[in-house]
Amino acid sequence: MAERIEISLKDHLFDPEGAGLCRRIKEYFGWHVGRARVIHVLTLDTTLTAEELDSVRREVFTNPITQVSACHSLAGDFDWAVWIGFRPGVRDTAGSVAIEAISDFVGRSLGKDEAAYTSKLYLLSDARLQRVQVQTIARELLANDIIQQWRIYSRSEWDSANGIGVIVPRVDLAHTPAVETIPIPSDDALMQLSQERNLALNPQDVPVIRNYFLRPEVLEERKKAGLWLPTDVELEAISQARSDHCNHNTFRGRFHYLDVTTNDALVVDNLFKTCIEAPTLALQQEKEWVISVLWDNAGVARFDAEHHYSITGETHNSPSNMEAYGGSLTGIVGIYRDIMGTGKGSRLIAGLYGYCVGPRDYAGPLKPHLHPRRLLDGVVEGVKDGGNKHGVPTPFGNLFFHPAYLGKCLVFVASLGIMPKSIKGLPSEQKCPQPGDLIVMSGGRVGKDGIHGVTASSETYSEHTPAGHVQIGDPYTQKKMHDFLLEARDEGLISFITDNGGGGLSSSIGESARFSGGAFVELDKVPLKYEGLDVWEIWVSESQERMTIAVNPADIDRFLALSRKHDVESTVIGRYESHGKLHITYQGKTCAYLDLSLFSQDFPQWEFDAHWQSPEARGLVEPVVSEPTDYAGLFHALLGRPNMCSREWIQRQYDHEVQGGSAVKYLVGRERDVPNDAVVLRPILDSKRGLAVAQALNPSYSIIDSYAMVAFCIDEAVRRLLAVGAKLDEIGGVDNFCWPSIQYDPVHNPDGRYKAAQLVRANWALRDMCLAYGIPLLSGKDSMYVDGHLPGEYGERHKVSGLPTMQFTATGVVADVTEVLTMESKMAGDLVYLVGATGNELGASEYYDLLGYVGLQVPKVDVRLNQSVYRALERALQAGLPASCHGIYRGGLAVHAALVAMGGLLGMTLDLSRVPLKGPQFQGPDAAASFLLRDDQILFSESCGRFLVTLPADNCAAFEAHFQNLPCACIGEITAEPRLLIKGVNGSILLNEAVVRLKTSWSRMPAA
Amino acid sequence: MSRIRALVLTGFGLNCDIETAYALKKAGARAERIHLNHLIDGVNRLKDFQIFVIGGGFSWGDDHGAGVILAMRLKHRLQDDILNFVQAGGLVLGICNGFQVIVNLGLLPGFEPHQLRRDVAIIGNDCGNFRDQWVRLGGNPASPCILTRGIDTIELPVRHGEGKFYAETGVLERLVSSEQVILRYTTTDGRPAAGEFPDNPNGSLGDIAGICDPTGRIAGLMPHPEAFNHCTNHPDWTYRKEVLRRQGKSLPEEGDGIKMFRNLVDYFA
Repeated sequence: MAERIEISLKDHLFDPEGAGLCRRIKEYFGWHVGRARVIHVLTLDTTLTAEELDSVRREVFTNPITQVSACHSLAGDFDWAVWIGFRPGVRDTAGSVAIEAISDFVGRSLGKDEAAYTSKLYLLSDARLQRVQVQTIARELLANDIIQQWRIYSRSEWDSANGIGVIVPRVDLAHTPAVETIPIPSDDALMQLSQERNLALNPQDVPVIRNYFLRPEVLEERKKAGLWLPTDVELEAISQARSDHCNHNTFRGRFHYLDVTTNDALVVDNLFKTCIEAPTLALQQEKEWVISVLWDNAGVARFDAEHHYSITGETHNSPSNMEAYGGSLTGIVGIYRDIMGTGKGSRLIAGLYGYCVGPRDYAGPLKPHLHPRRLLDGVVEGVKDGGNKHGVPTPFGNLFFHPAYLGKCLVFVASLGIMPKSIKGLPSEQKCPQPGDLIVMSGGRVGKDGIHGVTASSETYSEHTPAGHVQIGDPYTQKKMHDFLLEARDEGLISFITDNGGGGLSSSIGESARFSGGAFVELDKVPLKYEGLDVWEIWVSESQERMTIAVNPADIDRFLALSRKHDVESTVIGRYESHGKLHITYQGKTCAYLDLSLFSQDFPQWEFDAHWQSPEARGLVEPVVSEPTDYAGLFHALLGRPNMCSREWIQRQYDHEVQGGSAVKYLVGRERDVPNDAVVLRPILDSKRGLAVAQALNPSYSIIDSYAMVAFCIDEAVRRLLAVGAKLDEIGGVDNFCWPSIQYDPVHNPDGRYKAAQLVRANWALRDMCLAYGIPLLSGKDSMYVDGHLPGEYGERHKVSGLPTMQFTATGVVADVTEVLTMESKMAGDLVYLVGATGNELGASEYYDLLGYVGLQVPKVDVRLNQSVYRALERALQAGLPASCHGIYRGGLAVHAALVAMGGLLGMTLDLSRVPLKGPQFQGPDAAASFLLRDDQILFSESCGRFLVTLPADNCAAFEAHFQNLPCACIGEITAEPRLLIKGVNGSILLNEAVVRLKTSWSRMPAA
Repeated sequence: MSRIRALVLTGFGLNCDIETAYALKKAGARAERIHLNHLIDGVNRLKDFQIFVIGGGFSWGDDHGAGVILAMRLKHRLQDDILNFVQAGGLVLGICNGFQVIVNLGLLPGFEPHQLRRDVAIIGNDCGNFRDQWVRLGGNPASPCILTRGIDTIELPVRHGEGKFYAETGVLERLVSSEQVILRYTTTDGRPAAGEFPDNPNGSLGDIAGICDPTGRIAGLMPHPEAFNHCTNHPDWTYRKEVLRRQGKSLPEEGDGIKMFRNLVDYFA
């Protein structure tokens, strides 16, 4: 019989969760709730005796010092009560931990039908609210109806005897698993089937798939295997394998590029091959530190003589957009699995994040599924739990607000790992399943969660998107698996490993079978969370925390013993073969028999028209605006803007120091709250060698030119690494593209051709910059369809497309972590140098945005000049001359000088007449442009290639000697009196403001 | 190889084991990372070690209260081994999640020898969230604690969502009078934090960051000494280095947290 245990803090104790709820209700809605208490509810659907139940309640689930508990209602006085619990089938980790604890306590394992469910009851007092307001609190703050259910009780409705009653969200699928065969008499029929079953097949692929099943030799072999018509398992498998998410059909497409202004036309065949693969392969030839790229779950590069590091990044946009917490949590633990599945397995050393969301204070007419404020709070929390509970530091990340992300948010996740160079004498980065190796699934069990996640993220978010693809990650289960797999790896038990992410077993086995040349899988062996899944669902389910491993039969006993030691479930579900087939059975009966060659055969290339219109042709011009007179007001406004202000509130929630190798933190300075250019990790504790990591994301420039956007991001990422002391010769990159749909449709996507051209230009920039700076792309991913259809005020729906966005993650090895630099000024009396040239490049700048303009002159990267400057800077840093170094990024000199001063809590004087400007003396591309800039242009231009460096006067001559004939000038001094004093070009004082006041403007929480 | 053997517990969501073992090694111990199941199965035996460390992490995901489930498992499976280990003169250290575990296990505050009793609790931070920040701590020269011998003041990171030290008034008074409070949160200039956020990051009563048992051989603390194993761990190290450089000096490479582990190892010297 099901029972309910209620647990709450003793009444006299402060309830931080309740207090936090009151605060958020005030922030979100402006309503007063004087007091909130949280009762934790544990519903046990078990066979425990009354005595056992009582002991378990008292001994396991109640802290005698601080808590009270009962098997009846604990709710005392309140105005409103809100109960929130999971919907059936949603991952409830605390529930399964409770079962584990109970069986430990009572000394017997519980039956497979026995379960525990956790939920919460919120009691609101001193709350003069109407029911509709409480409903809003439940719906928009406490629960998400995709994964949770709730009930609301007013004081008068409350049944004080029974409370909420006993609510058991058990999954009960009265369904006998079956395999369906499906006739596909015509291409149209298959296309219709694709829509009905949500297969997301591309129309161009349909004839290829259908023809396969009509080929006589295929029919002959199928007959022998006992099959005829395609089965649902087969069609689902093909759909997963062909999805854009898995296949990157867009990047591999054929683009008919036309510059509409000049009428220049060209065909771009395969962006991936020409702009990502080719440059990286070329660079791999030159750089012996590039170990493994372009094929595995993550890229691998040399860390030191004994170790490699691995890195990858991806996005989790669609799920996060629907369930922010679960989406980002699943995203971060998912990207961890990529690292765990790189080579024969890497140990995780860091996770990174990037969020692009609508304005936090958005109050317009559009109704996104989740308001940006809540969405951001949710994604921040998901990465927090994923990282912290996994024991992986989360040292760095980005946040960017723009209304274009109201349609769909972006959640970037990246992770890094480290592995020994060799395992049992064999290269650790290499792996291959051998025919005869057993296929083992380790980790979590399979449920209905995540079905069709891959195909859903290959589509635009609409009211038809299936909610079932949202899932909740479980870092606890995965951490156990992580530790287990590393031990198995070190014993040499793993011949191949990959993760189960998008597409589940379908992807992991489907892809790894291509290495061995075949696979035989018995799907009835796969452990399930609950009965009733159809066979195809087992094959494509994206239930989390699972890895697929190839184990030699001779090693399987040891492998399974280690698995048991670590309390991880591992199951042999098949074996790798060399017969060229993907052969799946269920209870002895074949339900899929496909040629692996089908997945790699010539599907027609996707085709796109790409029409570029230059910014001028689109009517963009520089604004006509005179120089401001109130610089103090302007500085305060700029520093407080959502995209400029402090991010400490996010970073502090993330454990960024676990593993003990934090050498430079994201938050630096005397008050430890100013963001540094990059972080530095010391992943091997008894070595001084470090890994510098930084990310850049600046989608605003796409509004003018996506080429400039990507070029800027890469230049920024490079400078971020150089600023701490990494070397240009050993920088690796990871590109993560997020783009709106580029398939032209006169009605649904009328500017699709322009968006396609933006994508082409972005890739050109990626290619050009990587080749110019010598950056191999260690890894990367693209995520298309960043569009949403949002309800408006009158029942209409608006398509909102995200800005074309690329986040660039860069890594660089530093030889000695004790030699790296941080960005904040260190000593009064030091001199301030500006390295790099400033041009009139305010297009899409933060300054123009503040004034309500876009402008035209977007920052352009002068790679030749920059390379000389960067080499000179490297030498100056190598010589130990500077005391601090900081790149100048979004917000320009103004914002970044202020940050250097705020970090050091010292003053700074700047003389703008000494700022080196872009001009013919440096042979920049803008050589012919006018060089004389106004004070506001110098202060707010976002020109690339620049740094602010501080150093003791004694080092000046040596420093300047490195920059002969390069743009570099002493423009000011660090002062003891903490004021920022800026003199204009003509000698007038533009700004004389206390640093602490500037900091106050910068460090306020973003508008709630 | 050192004759002082230290066991760092692993498994079930514990983490920090690699750096804790590293810090113990730096301090001169022979540190081994041992899975809980190997202690339970008898593959490894606690009595073969002198130092037993339960480090940071999220054992069992910290669901149902931080450290609660691991404490229960230790109590059910290893109670005698642990009590015998203590009886035999071994040192026990709980850091962060490990502190939560030994408090829930009832090994601390250990008012009655050879008995497990829960008298104190470590609960959710008053700030309502997980927090990673460095804190300044004041030591207690009058305490019998081995771990904090000779430590007047030290800076360490805290990284937790549940670190508020709580006990009834009588228990708090007893802890104070028996000098079992080993570390308290202070302001940057060394005055008591007096409960003020963020110097006291979690609202701990009496600014208590760590306690020991009456013998001083069992200690627990929320801050992470193993995370200050190298000078570059400190958030201000680049500044300190620059200050020293101008004086012609260099920054000592070892992190202050190693001192605590050295105290444990030196106890057996």
